[in-house]
Amino acid sequence: MTSKPLLDIHNLNVVYETPSGSIVAIRDLSLELRANEAMGIIGESGCGKSTLSYAILDYLPPNARRSGSIMFNGDDLLLKTEKEMQNYRGDRIAMVYQNPYSALNPSLTIGEQLDEVTRVHRGFPRTQAREESIKALKDLSLGEAEGIVRRYPHQVSGGIQQRICIAMALLCQPDIMILDEPTTALDVTTEASILDIIGELKERHRMSLIYISHDIGVVNKISDRIAVMYRGEVVELGPQEELFDHPRHPYTRALINCMPRAGVKKETTRLNTIPGYVTRRSADERGCPFASRCEKRNAVCEEIYGLREIESGHLAACDRAYADDVSEKKAAIPLVPKAKSPAGAGATGGWSGTKDSSAAADAGGFGTVGPDTATTPLIRLEKVYKYYRNRKRTVRALDGIDAKIEKHDVLGVVGESGCGKSTMGHLVAGLLAPTKGNIYFEGKDISATWQRRSGDTIRDIQLVFQNPGRSLNPSFSVEQILDRPIKKMLKIRSRRERRAMVIDLLKKVDLGEEYLSRPSTRLSGGEKQRIAVARAFVTSPRLIVCDEPTSALDVSVQASVLNLLGELQEQSHTSYLFISHDLNVVNYISDHILVMYLGRVCEYGLRDEVVNPPYHPYTEALLSSAPDVNPSHKQKPIRLEGAPPDPSARIVGCPFAGRCHKKIDDLCDTTPPPLKRLSETHYIFCHLSEDHLKGSAHL
Amino acid sequence: MRRVWYIAKRNPLIFPALIIILFWLLAAVVGPSRMAFSYTAMDMDHQMTAPGMGGHFMGTDSLGRDIWSRIVFGSRSILTIALLTSLFSSLAGVVLGFTAGYFGGRIDALFLRAMDIMMAVPPLVLSMVVLGVLGNSNILTLTLIVSIAYTPATARVARGALLSCKNIEYVDAARLRGESHLYIMFREILPNTIGPIIVEVTARFAYSIMMVASLGFLGVGLQPPTPDWGMMVIENKTIIKAAPWAVLYPSLAIASLVIAISLFSDFLSKVVIRDQ
Repeated sequence: MTSKPLLDIHNLNVVYETPSGSIVAIRDLSLELRANEAMGIIGESGCGKSTLSYAILDYLPPNARRSGSIMFNGDDLLLKTEKEMQNYRGDRIAMVYQNPYSALNPSLTIGEQLDEVTRVHRGFPRTQAREESIKALKDLSLGEAEGIVRRYPHQVSGGIQQRICIAMALLCQPDIMILDEPTTALDVTTEASILDIIGELKERHRMSLIYISHDIGVVNKISDRIAVMYRGEVVELGPQEELFDHPRHPYTRALINCMPRAGVKKETTRLNTIPGYVTRRSADERGCPFASRCEKRNAVCEEIYGLREIESGHLAACDRAYADDVSEKKAAIPLVPKAKSPAGAGATGGWSGTKDSSAAADAGGFGTVGPDTATTPLIRLEKVYKYYRNRKRTVRALDGIDAKIEKHDVLGVVGESGCGKSTMGHLVAGLLAPTKGNIYFEGKDISATWQRRSGDTIRDIQLVFQNPGRSLNPSFSVEQILDRPIKKMLKIRSRRERRAMVIDLLKKVDLGEEYLSRPSTRLSGGEKQRIAVARAFVTSPRLIVCDEPTSALDVSVQASVLNLLGELQEQSHTSYLFISHDLNVVNYISDHILVMYLGRVCEYGLRDEVVNPPYHPYTEALLSSAPDVNPSHKQKPIRLEGAPPDPSARIVGCPFAGRCHKKIDDLCDTTPPPLKRLSETHYIFCHLSEDHLKGSAHL
Repeated sequence: MRRVWYIAKRNPLIFPALIIILFWLLAAVVGPSRMAFSYTAMDMDHQMTAPGMGGHFMGTDSLGRDIWSRIVFGSRSILTIALLTSLFSSLAGVVLGFTAGYFGGRIDALFLRAMDIMMAVPPLVLSMVVLGVLGNSNILTLTLIVSIAYTPATARVARGALLSCKNIEYVDAARLRGESHLYIMFREILPNTIGPIIVEVTARFAYSIMMVASLGFLGVGLQPPTPDWGMMVIENKTIIKAAPWAVLYPSLAIASLVIAISLFSDFLSKVVIRDQ
C-alpha cells in the first residue's frame, strides 16, 4: 500500500460566507486515498462530511470558498474551470447520494436514465448503451434487469432505487466513487445487502471508495481505513480494526461508546454520552475542535491541534482517549437491576393468561387473556386491522394483530419500514381508529380516535414523535410548548403554579430554567427531543408511545435521549410502546420485544428470548443484518432477497414466506403459520419446529 | 435584523421603494393640511398652466385646479381604500381558506368550486358591474366590493399555506391534547403561515391600488369633486395635447406607488419565506 495516492487532499479549507459571518466548514484537512482503497468517513451531523464530498467535485453553493489543494492523479481540482470539472464528475469521480428517490428523475424510465450515462459520457449509441445498462444492473444482482429498465423510479423499492443509483455511478467506470450516506434511508436488511454489493464491486472494478456515514457499524463493514471528522477536521485516521480496538482521540472513543450494541442493556449499563453538541465554527477559533466537549481536556488543548502519527499508519490529533480514565467507569455504570413491581409480575404471568387457555391460544386465540384481572395488561390489542383504502387498492397496514403491553414495562416493536409498526403506535395513541378489532386500555375499549376518547384516556396515553423538529411548533417558546398541555389537560389556572411545573419538567429532562423563553427553533435536535419527552410527561401518563424517538438524532444525542427515557421510565413506572427500526436500540431499552412483518406479528417475547435462539427466521435475518460496532464479531450473514411483498396483495400463507431462508415449500405459501409457544412468555408464528428455529445468528 | 440588512444590501432597490412609500404615506397623513391650494379651488387666471407657473408646482387642469394638491388629497382616499381592501380580503381569505383546507373533504371541494366560479369573472369586471349597478360609490362601498373581488385569490393562498403545515406532527400533538379545531387553526397553524400571508397582504395592497385607480379611470370609482388618481387621468384625457402634465403626474403617482409596494412585497417575501 505504498503506491502513490490517487486522491491527495492537502490543507483543504472550506469557508461559507453567511449573513452572520464566516463559518468554517472544513479546516486544514489533509487526506490521502489510495487506489482500490475504501475510506470511511464518520462523524456527527454538521461535522463537514458532506461538505468534503461536495468540495471534491466543486458542487458547493456560491457562498463557499475553497483553498488548499485536491490533487487527483497529479492535477489540482481546485484550479480546474467549471468546464474542465465536467470531465471529472461522473467520469473519474462518481457520487451516490443519500436519498435515491430524489436523485432519480421521476418522469424518465430507469432505462432512459441509465442509458443517458453511457451515451453522454462514453458516446455509446442507443442499443449499446441499453446493453451496457442491463449489464450494470445485473452486476448489482438485480435479477430481472430487462424488466426494471422499462419501469419508472417510483415503481421499484428504495433498495432497488439505490442500486440503480450505484449502477449509474458504475457505468462511467469511475476511479473513485463517493457514497454519501447511501444506506441511511434504507431498511437494515436492504442496507446489509447493498453494503455487500458495494464491497464486491469495489474489488471487481478496482475502484476507490469514499464512504460517508454517521453509523459506525456501517462504516466498519466496508472500510479499509477510517477518518473520524469533527467540526471540519479529521481528528483521527487509521486502519479500520485498529481504530476501533484502540481509538486514540477522545472523540472517536466517545462516539464508539455511544452506540447501543450487543450486550448493552438498560438494566446494567447507561450509554456513554458526549455533553454539548456540534457548534458552528468561526474563522478565528484555535485549538482542538473537540476541547469544549472533551472530558480529558487540559491547558494544552486550547493551543495545539493537528494530526500526528501515533503508530505506523494511525494518525490522531490527540492520544488522550484513555488518559486519566474516568469515562471507563462512567460508560459502564452498573445499575441495580430493576425490581419488578407486583403488577409487573404479569409480564411473566403468561401471554395468554392462565395455562388453561393455552390450547385456545395455540388454536389461534393469540391475544386472549384469562378472566383473572391481576394479569390484565395495560394495553391489549385484539385482532386489530387497519386498512387504508383508495379507489385503486386497499393497503393492509395492520392485518389482524394481537399484542399487549404490561404495566411498567417497555414493549419494543421492531420491523422494516412498512410493516405497520407506526400505524400500531398511532392506533394506540388515538391518531387513528382501527378498521376492525379492539384496543383495550386496562380492560376499557379505546378503539377510537382522540375525538371520541375521554379526557382521562387522553391524559393517560401520550406520544413522542420521531422528528422533534416537526413535533414542536416552531412559533412557540419552550415555555409555551410545555405550559399549554398543563393548562389544557391538567386545568391549572394559576400562572405561577404552571411556571413552577414547567421548570420542574425541564429539570426532569436535564435542562435549566434558561430554556424557558428560548424559541423552539433555536434548540439543537437533542434539546428538542428532550422538550418533546418533557411534554409527554406533563400528565404523568400511564403509557407513552415512542415512535422512533431517536432515529432522527445523532448517535451521541441518541444515547443521551435513550438514557433519559430509561431513567424516566424507572422513576415514573410508565410503560412505553417503543417503536424503532433499529434492533440495537430496541434491545437496549425494551423488556419485551414484538417483531412485526407486513402488518402481522412474527414473534413476541421477553427481550432475551427474542434476541437469542430459537427465533423466527425473520428475527434471525434482522439480527444478522444489524451492523455491529464490534469488528471482531464475524458471523455468517443471512441476506433477505427482494423487498416485502405489496401490502395490498392478499396473502394466504405466511407473509414472510417469499423471502424466508428456511421456507418449507408449499406449506408456507398456502397455510398461515401456527402460533408456537416456546415458553410462558415467548411466542412465534412459524411452521418450523423449535429445533429448526435455533439459528446461527447471535446478537 | 442582521439578516434583513444582509438581504437589503443584496436587493438595493428596496431603498428607493421604501422612500417612495414613506413619501406617499407622509403625503396622505400631513399633506392636505399643508397645501397652498384646495383641491376644488379653481384658479381662473391659471387654466392649464404649465408646472411651476403661478405657484402651481405641477401645473393646473382645464378648470384651473392645482394638480399637485389634487394628487396629494387623492393619495388619502386611494391609500385608505387599498389598505383596508388588502386587510379585509386577507382576513376573509384566511378564514375561508383555513376552514376549507383544515376540514378538507366535501367542504374543501365546495369551497374550491365556489372560488373557481368567482375567479372566472375578472375582479375588475366584477367590481365594475356591481359598482355600476349600485351607482354613487364611496370609500365604504369601494372597499367592500374590491375586498370581495379579491377574496378568492387570498383564500387560495391561505389554504395552500395551511395545507403545508396541516400534516406536521405538532398538529397531531395538539390533537392528542384534545385541542379545539379553532385553537389548532389559529394558534398552532396560523403563526407558522404568517410569512406567506403577510407577503400576500402587501402584494394585494399593490393590486388594490391598481384596481381603485382603474375603477376611477372607468368612472365607477369615487365621484367628483373628490380627487381620485384614476379619475384625474380620464378627466384630463381630452386636454392631453395642450396640458400633458395633467395626465402625466397622476399616472406617475399611480405607477410609483404600485411599483414601490411591489418591490417591498418582493423584498418581504425574501425575508420571511426563507425564515420558515
